[in-house]
Amino acid sequence: MQNYKDILAEVLIDEKTLKNRVRDLGQQISRDYIGEELLLICILRGGVVFLVDLMRHISVPHGVDFMAIASYGVGARSSTGNMRLTLDLQTNIEGKNVLLVEDIVDSGRTISQVLQMLGTRHPRSLKVCALLDKASRREVEVPIDYRGFDIADKFVFGYGLDLDELYRNLPFVGVVDSKRYKSPARFLSAGEPE
Amino acid sequence: MQDYTEFIDEILVSETSIQQRVRELGEQISRDYAGEMLLVVCVLRGGITFAADLTRQISLPHELDCMSLSSYGMGNYASSGNVRVNLDLNVNIEGRNVLLVEDMIDSGRTLAHVLAMLRTRGPKSLKVCILLDKKERREVPITCDYIGFDVPDKYIFGYGIDIDEHFRHLPFIASADLSKYRKPV
Repeated sequence: MQNYKDILAEVLIDEKTLKNRVRDLGQQISRDYIGEELLLICILRGGVVFLVDLMRHISVPHGVDFMAIASYGVGARSSTGNMRLTLDLQTNIEGKNVLLVEDIVDSGRTISQVLQMLGTRHPRSLKVCALLDKASRREVEVPIDYRGFDIADKFVFGYGLDLDELYRNLPFVGVVDSKRYKSPARFLSAGEPE
Repeated sequence: MQDYTEFIDEILVSETSIQQRVRELGEQISRDYAGEMLLVVCVLRGGITFAADLTRQISLPHELDCMSLSSYGMGNYASSGNVRVNLDLNVNIEGRNVLLVEDMIDSGRTLAHVLAMLRTRGPKSLKVCILLDKKERREVPITCDYIGFDVPDKYIFGYGIDIDEHFRHLPFIASADLSKYRKPV
């Protein structure tokens, strides 16, 4: 197992900057939904760390719920095919203010499908909070209401984002040095869903 | 929605105490698994805050996976019924070191079911890390390898634990005075 220091090209967003921005986002959301109730929805597993930190800065009453998604066929969930819900919400969102919390938006395909699906359930409102926005990769338009950071098209990891399932626990967002990173053997065959 | 200050009984564990204890647990786990690979399994939804904080205090490389459970039949999954898996692990745990992370243990029945199920998959090791231990409520003998705090048999909320789906976001662990609590409509 490689130490992250061996594969880190640069720290893109350090721990302090992340903390401050997450707090700002939480305060902004609390102001925007004042007098309302809110349901935060997190898509497993990348968004978990961001969600947990964000919710602690949201002062309006809110629930938390989770979804898990896989794709039909082979490959990662960023493929172009339809998605498959492997865990649906426990909450009925009809008439509720829903805020979808995501770690990163790149092509926008997954989140766009999730938004369409959630929209059919008639929430009162449906907004998106994304920690990282890789806008240069966008293939489908996605309205991002709360955005943590715009980032360049680099291979990032840490703060919930994994590199072959590892390093989600790092407190910063880093860029992978792809020349030095070796994928573990078990990931060289067909990828797992998500 | 009531403000929690209207029905809080007392703060059982402060934010500072939680953070310090989570750091200690993370350091202990990092020492115990030094040189090994580890899979941290978080049980949704109550365990999410604890798992997200704990994972950042574990210094060795590890994976994070999630499970979602409920019970068959009526009521809360703390009942005696079997456990139903709503979301299973992505990872095949055969031959892996697995650490199950839960917010709270009371009767121990759910946890016993989950551990028995996971054991059938042949992990190299299977341990349990619990933030809160309600020992008085135990009905099934279970050994927790890592325990955050012993807590009394009170109605508890905060730090991932909800009352009617709310108050998970509070950074401390508190007990509720249910005579002052009004269920949301």
